[in-house]
Amino acid sequence: MVSKEEIENVAKLMRIELDDHIVHVDRVQKMIEYFDILDKASVESEEFDVQEKSITKLREDKYIPYDEKLIEALKNYKENYVRAPKMV
Amino acid sequence: MTKIGLEIHCQLTNLESKLFCSCKANYRGFEPNANICPVCIGLPGSLPRLNKKAVEKATMIAMSLNCNTPDKLAFFRKNYFYPDLPKNFQITQLNVYGEHSIGQNGTILVDDKEIRIRRIQLEEDPGRLIYEGISEKTQITLVDYNRAGTPLVEIVTEPDFENERQVRLFLNILSDLLDNLDVSNPSLEGAMRADGNISIEGGNKVEIKNVNSFHDLEKALHFEITRQESLISRDIPIEQETRHWDDKRKITVSARIKEGEEDYRYFLEGDIPWITIDSQTLNKLKADMPESISSKKERYITKQIPAQVAEVLSSDKFCSDLFELAHNESNAIVIANLITTDLMGLVDTDEKREKSKLTHQHLTDLANSIETKEITRTSAKTALQECVATGLPVSEIISTLDLGHISDESELNKIIDEIFIQEPNTVEQTKTNPETINYLIGKVMEKTKGKADPTLTLNIINKKLS
Amino acid sequence: MNLGISALRYVEEVKNGSFTIEEFISKTVEQIKKHDGKLHAYLSFDDHVIEQARNLDRKIANKEKIGSCFGMPISIKDNICVKGGKTTCASKMLENFVAPYDATVVLKLKSEDVIIIGKTNLDEFAMGISTEFSAYGTSHNPWNTDYVPGGSSGGSAVSVSAFECIASLGSDTGGSVRNPASFCSVVGFKPTYGLISRYGLISYANSIEQIGPLTRTVEDTAFFLNIISGFDPNDDTTIDNKNEDYLSNIDAGVEGKKIGIIKEMVGQGTDKEVVSATNNAIKKFEELGAKIEEISLDMIDYSVASYYTITSTEAGSNLARYDNLRYGYDFPLEGYEFNSYISKARKNFGPEVTRRMILGGFVPSAGYAGKYFLKALKVKKKLTDEINEAFKKIDFLIAPTVPVLPFKIGEKIDDPVALFLLDFNTVIANLTGKPAISVPFEISNGLPIGIQLIANSMQDKPLLQAAYALQNTVKLPEVPI
Ligand SMILES: [Zn+2]
Repeated sequence: MVSKEEIENVAKLMRIELDDHIVHVDRVQKMIEYFDILDKASVESEEFDVQEKSITKLREDKYIPYDEKLIEALKNYKENYVRAPKMV
Repeated sequence: MTKIGLEIHCQLTNLESKLFCSCKANYRGFEPNANICPVCIGLPGSLPRLNKKAVEKATMIAMSLNCNTPDKLAFFRKNYFYPDLPKNFQITQLNVYGEHSIGQNGTILVDDKEIRIRRIQLEEDPGRLIYEGISEKTQITLVDYNRAGTPLVEIVTEPDFENERQVRLFLNILSDLLDNLDVSNPSLEGAMRADGNISIEGGNKVEIKNVNSFHDLEKALHFEITRQESLISRDIPIEQETRHWDDKRKITVSARIKEGEEDYRYFLEGDIPWITIDSQTLNKLKADMPESISSKKERYITKQIPAQVAEVLSSDKFCSDLFELAHNESNAIVIANLITTDLMGLVDTDEKREKSKLTHQHLTDLANSIETKEITRTSAKTALQECVATGLPVSEIISTLDLGHISDESELNKIIDEIFIQEPNTVEQTKTNPETINYLIGKVMEKTKGKADPTLTLNIINKKLS
Repeated sequence: MNLGISALRYVEEVKNGSFTIEEFISKTVEQIKKHDGKLHAYLSFDDHVIEQARNLDRKIANKEKIGSCFGMPISIKDNICVKGGKTTCASKMLENFVAPYDATVVLKLKSEDVIIIGKTNLDEFAMGISTEFSAYGTSHNPWNTDYVPGGSSGGSAVSVSAFECIASLGSDTGGSVRNPASFCSVVGFKPTYGLISRYGLISYANSIEQIGPLTRTVEDTAFFLNIISGFDPNDDTTIDNKNEDYLSNIDAGVEGKKIGIIKEMVGQGTDKEVVSATNNAIKKFEELGAKIEEISLDMIDYSVASYYTITSTEAGSNLARYDNLRYGYDFPLEGYEFNSYISKARKNFGPEVTRRMILGGFVPSAGYAGKYFLKALKVKKKLTDEINEAFKKIDFLIAPTVPVLPFKIGEKIDDPVALFLLDFNTVIANLTGKPAISVPFEISNGLPIGIQLIANSMQDKPLLQAAYALQNTVKLPEVPI
């Protein structure tokens, strides 16, 4: 079974701080336990089901400026920039 | 033995639009965040729309590096959090479900050594971070997403380089090749970046990242080789790690990436179907490929152009394009010389090339004027300068600058008489040392600003001396 | 004036002047004022709907041409972008997000002159089947307000069934249109993957989800499909349907058609009322001249685990962009370093989304991908092969839409695996990309039961014809509000 520490570690990598461990960790553990049913599925094929599209149907290379000052609709700083916390 | 492998990132700067949206591919020159749309800024609900030409041009790169190109392309998500990455994942390519990247298993000859290309992939460039503030405490990070989504081709080599010199040669060949394919302008800042990995005898592989230019890569590799050799000599083991190039201090520093942090959870990008490339499209791309640099060089040599000149000419697309249009069977050598000895010095930067008003017609006309002895080779250089600056027709330049040959015998007689009076000693010396005639010819040229007909001048001098 | 009329009927009545658009819209707004306090179908409203109605009435009076929807009031699930208004996905994370563009489906509907009344409630980021995971409170089932309306497009189903609009657009990742349609006794349709553009639908599990209409009748679904389906240059996964007319020949019937019953879907774990309704539906089809046969799919027992593995993986990636830097809610970044800031900011995800994020980090991770994610993809592929094989012999599959009757609010929210299993009958269509529809069929002790039909890819039109035939075999009571 997947340990609670592993689950807590994944939460950290997914950048979510957990405070209610019963609501999160315990239930996630139950969910993963259910997924173990996949062990029983006999699937040998290495192939996956994928959609295909011909290169001829792709978007033509054309510059079309976006017609709005999109940055004004976003959180912005010093008018033109988006601000991020400091990187350490 | 030292083994070096490279990961080169090359922006397809010559495309019109970004990889997945219609914003401009060459983001330079915009106000911050003025070249963005819902797609490249990753707004909720937006979807990527793959650029056909990006796939075509990247495939051409793969073909010119002798790679296999697949009949189906797959795109993947590389998941990690970073403020320059609007979706917190990057759309890129991977070969986990078979070989479905733009190209794989290529080779290129560098100084007679075969360098193997492992893989070529098409991906999106992230935005740019700008750090403001002096100390770590006051520092703030500003993000400009104009670059986000710029089409990027990543070329991954096998660790086949043995020293920095081979790396430098390879990167030069590669930039000429990209320039020749008209996919990228390697001289634009940030258009080409390279990371490396390096291992020396007895040590583990070390990745070097965060290198912003080819020039820095050479310095970083040099630093790393020295560092690793020094460790080995003191019996200190070389750890397998990733190191960053510190541009300010010119050293590499450990990136200290913790175990488990670099799990990118790669999986197929469901918003982009697998792209099928039919043989018809592939054949058309092959047919549309510009002639390779080496084939150009061979062709130039058959026109009796010296190998050295042919080499220089063929590896510079701007110049070889001019040459192709300007030359014919009889003037090829003259034009090749005009370009490589005179023009290249006049237009040695992108800026100068952009400003240049010179056309291939100018070169043809100049070669003609030289052949018909209307002007001298020396005057041709002056005229060329004027063509670049003004773009006026060659005939007009010759007449306004008075560059025409002086082939009027009486005028030349007069000039030579004057020189004979000024240089009695030299005239005397010619009797014992015929070489000194050249000095007299030089004086005539000086006086006539290079316009004197050289053959006529020599005849007159000989006549006067005898 | 009857607010409960179908879309087709509405168009006829406006055309022949039975009422003006303004009259109908005003009465719809009144209906919402009267009932939505309790039902909570809507999260936000457009304040200018009366103005829009008047403009359209004026155009009609001036004999100007207007779009084929004639000002029909519709609602849109709040994970589909409508320009200028809030699109929250029922999440605190997006409480201030205003979309600067219209989803392709919204553009298409606007160009046919619908009036968008408002945005409807859902489980946060469409993860759930009851709307109980909405950050803004649960919606209530109009058939019995103590019960859940189903989900995740619960608000959409409630708005249609409680006459708070004529039709709605939802999204269906594993049954999110069909499940609430079944619980609220309306028609819910998930098309062939790629038939309707997803541009402007906020992604949860993009490789399998589709936008789909919720309507009063099967004909209405065909009517809306005609408007919103087809190739979209903004969505590389859309397919060209050559402007198929889904409404013509809708009464073609099912005579001679072969219908397969998936035996695993009427066995253990299915309520007896639901089994009985399904058997009745099968009987009706037989009376209409269809042939029934039982089929079995080997991979079906793994479908729910496969579904949740794939959807969590994609959600973990699709929701990574919510780092609160470019848009989101007020939360100053002073004093934080990047990772600690976004980890704190992302605490605004509700409990279910948080769990799915963790799952989505876990099942495709380097150490576990082989055991979970890649296995899930292989199950998906094999299941698709199996169902394709079945469709060589049969025309449609039949099953209850949901194995159980609508349940009480709060009844199942604490048992994650029990909630998973309620998707058993619906996820198969998403995993295999097939079109599927839920048709209202019975009311058992005042609670609705829907019957699901599934067809092969691009057989959306025959599927609607079969659904129409089934719909016409029953006359259901009016919603008791
Ligand atoms: Zn863009």
